[in-house]
Amino acid sequence: MNIKGSPWKGSLLLLLVSNLLLCHSVAPLPICPGGAARCQVTLGDLFDRAVVLSHYIHNLSSEMFSEFDKRYTHGRGFITKAINSCHTSSLATPEDKEQAQQINQKDFLSLIVSILRSWNEPLYHLVTEVRGMQEAPEAILSKAVEIEEQTKRLLEGMELIVSQVHPETKENEIYPVWSGLPSLQMADEESRLSAYYNLLHCLRRDSHKIDNYLKLLKCRIIHNNNC
Amino acid sequence: MFLCQAIQPCYIFLHSFPPILSFTLSKEQQSVANTQNKVVDVPDQTAISQKLPCTFSSSELLIYFLQQEKAANMKENVASATVFTLLLFLNTCLLNGQLPPGKPEIFKCRSPNKETFTCWWRPGTDGGLPTNYSLTYHREGETLMHECPDYITGGPNSCHFGKQYTSMWRTYIMMVNATNQMGSSFSDELYVDVTYIVQPDPPLELAVEVKQPEDRKPYLWIKWSPPTLIDLKTGWFTLLYEIRLKPEKAAEWEIHFAGQQTEFKILSLHPGQKYLVQVRCKPDHGYWSAWSPVTFIQIPSDFTMNDTTVWISVAVLSAVICLIIVWAVALKGYSMVTCIFPPVPGPKIKGFDAHLLEKGKSEELLSALGCQDFPPTSDYEDLLVEYLEVDDSEDQHLMSVHSKEHPSQGMKPTYLDPDTDSGRGSCDSPSLLSEKCEEPQANPSTFYDPEVIEKPENPETTHTWDPQCISMEGKIPYFHAGGSKCSTWPLPQPSQHNPRSSYHNITDVCELAVGPAGAPATLLNEAGKDALKSSQTIKSREEGKATQQREVESFHSETDQDTPWLLPQEKTPFGSAKPLDYVEIHKVNKDGALSLLPKQRENSGKPKKPGTPENSKEYAKVSGVMDNNILVLVPDPHAKNVACFEESAKEAPPSLEQNQAEKALANFTATSSKCRLQLGGLDYLDPACFTHSFH
Repeated sequence: MNIKGSPWKGSLLLLLVSNLLLCHSVAPLPICPGGAARCQVTLGDLFDRAVVLSHYIHNLSSEMFSEFDKRYTHGRGFITKAINSCHTSSLATPEDKEQAQQINQKDFLSLIVSILRSWNEPLYHLVTEVRGMQEAPEAILSKAVEIEEQTKRLLEGMELIVSQVHPETKENEIYPVWSGLPSLQMADEESRLSAYYNLLHCLRRDSHKIDNYLKLLKCRIIHNNNC
Repeated sequence: MFLCQAIQPCYIFLHSFPPILSFTLSKEQQSVANTQNKVVDVPDQTAISQKLPCTFSSSELLIYFLQQEKAANMKENVASATVFTLLLFLNTCLLNGQLPPGKPEIFKCRSPNKETFTCWWRPGTDGGLPTNYSLTYHREGETLMHECPDYITGGPNSCHFGKQYTSMWRTYIMMVNATNQMGSSFSDELYVDVTYIVQPDPPLELAVEVKQPEDRKPYLWIKWSPPTLIDLKTGWFTLLYEIRLKPEKAAEWEIHFAGQQTEFKILSLHPGQKYLVQVRCKPDHGYWSAWSPVTFIQIPSDFTMNDTTVWISVAVLSAVICLIIVWAVALKGYSMVTCIFPPVPGPKIKGFDAHLLEKGKSEELLSALGCQDFPPTSDYEDLLVEYLEVDDSEDQHLMSVHSKEHPSQGMKPTYLDPDTDSGRGSCDSPSLLSEKCEEPQANPSTFYDPEVIEKPENPETTHTWDPQCISMEGKIPYFHAGGSKCSTWPLPQPSQHNPRSSYHNITDVCELAVGPAGAPATLLNEAGKDALKSSQTIKSREEGKATQQREVESFHSETDQDTPWLLPQEKTPFGSAKPLDYVEIHKVNKDGALSLLPKQRENSGKPKKPGTPENSKEYAKVSGVMDNNILVLVPDPHAKNVACFEESAKEAPPSLEQNQAEKALANFTATSSKCRLQLGGLDYLDPACFTHSFH
């Protein structure tokens, strides 16, 4: 078979072109087969899932804080010591609608990812320490475990979104570091309870922040500010 | 100089110079003596405090001072002057309500849209003077104190924070200060985060309408709009709604969650009633709003539910169908049941004494049944089974079917059912059709379909005899298998109304063998026949006749598998003496079928001597075998055959075992040429000879 012959050439070319056309006409998969960095899940689906996760995480955090407060610290003025105790306060996060609308999309996404990354370690230690407590409160422990799990998933989802919306973004691994582990392990009960109170208080706040930011971004990116 | 201070709670300080040691306060009807007061020695001054009972009010106090004795009289005038001043002063001090304000309390802060928020406080006890309230706050991370930017928008005793003053995710530390002329008081500090105080206003413009589209069910259409000042478009705020409704007179509300949509459909409503509808909303994380004002809606009376009509018609239809099914089942219940569950043939032997069986004395039982030499041994059965091998495929099928049954039935042939219960057709019965059958069929090749034989559920079709098989004397009976009705078969038991399939089995043969004394039937096959033959030899001549007849029958079965079974004309019921009918071979047609004539009723109930052959026995001579399964018969007037038979008959009786059969067979084989008897022009065949030839 003489491939170099013109009829063969022509048919080969035709085959190639038809293959390309067919490939382009394939609709994107609705579900991303696991693990692919560039997946063809629609951005709308990604945002929907992210919002569901962030909403869920905040609900859990809120419940966890309420249970902890009711059980250990109610009415004892721990709130006064919780002022300025969050490790993420160094991040310049928007605090009202106007500020949120002024920040640009790319920075906004990076901000969210930073907050999520900064909570990986505190959540891990929270679970470890609560688990190691004598008479560990089961309700609080189970919620902490669930929050840790879902936060990891949310982070993955956010990284996917970033790779789709801003593929050129360099991986920026800078995030606020939490250093509250020693205070969680203090011998003095009052100080220790205060440390837990602060941690849960900050978690509740930051999870609400992330939830609100994602809902803002979803309406901005997917629905063009017309939710 | 006197200086008087009246401070709550009703203390009075008295500063005097020169010092005084004691004083007395009195008013009408009361007096307080200060004799026990502490004297505070202030250089150049004496300050005395005295707690007044607070009933001292608005009335003048007269203070009498007792000056030190050292004090000279010259100061008395000065003292009285100061007293008056003091009195005036006290008067003003102790007037009603003129106290510093009570401690206020901030009791509620709310944000309707996450962009502004308002706090309300509750003033403390009023000091009687106009009190000013001021709210001061500072925010988390700041040190600077601010004052409330707006005291008016939120109403009295409120502080409203506008957009520029509101920050999310940041704690506000605020405090209210109440001041009046007498003093001020501060509330406790309140830590507020706007994030957790969100409560929207109720939704607006609640519209309720009854919609009745033509081709669909009617419904209630509820529509509303979100409260003002809430930003849903940018996603800053997310609202979830809930509606509730109830008929006017009902006690409980029916609540429906509507999610983020601003409209709702209600399908299940009571017609003709007046409904109340309300709606409320909540943020994704926060408090529910208040219920909106009630909207009334009157449901028209013709708000029919089409569902009910459909369901009623469906119910009626299904009831009718059920009735029809029940009626059909009732009418044809039995046939349907037998169609689904064909009755299992059970061994039932008339006259069978179950009690004897229980006793386990088989000999007694067998003797009671009248069958001797039973059960045959297994060897005998094997021998008998051998004869079941046939050449023709159809025949094989036919024979194999029978052979299958034979072993099962051959095990205890005595227990076989001479009844029609065993699944045989009426044409099976020993009472042969020979007398009653009409002309011979031209085509004797039709034979029983074994399957037909074994379908007792179809009693009507088990009339497998031709209609021609109506008995008529002098006619040649043709016994055909399959397809013809044989209603003229006399049933062996009057109780049996269902004709059975035309299936020969040894039971019939056995009965014949036993003769009028009755005998349990055995399988009608060669084996059975042979067994019967052996047993026959014990019997009388009449029995021998029966044997002959069976021999003929077995010949039929062997020679031409297509030939119909030769049924005994009459099935001998157990214990009753009925004459046996014999058939005589009339002729053999080209197909090899034997045409038989019913023999004259010669046999009687009298038992004959065993071993005495009947003179009327006739045999036919086989001239040859065609196609390995067709015997060509020739009348043979040899009388030797009779003798032959006699011999075999003689030899058979001593042995009650299967060996007899073998011997008999051997004898028959040896005397095959003799096994053709002819008697009176009628031909009989000794099938034993031919069975052996097949073997």
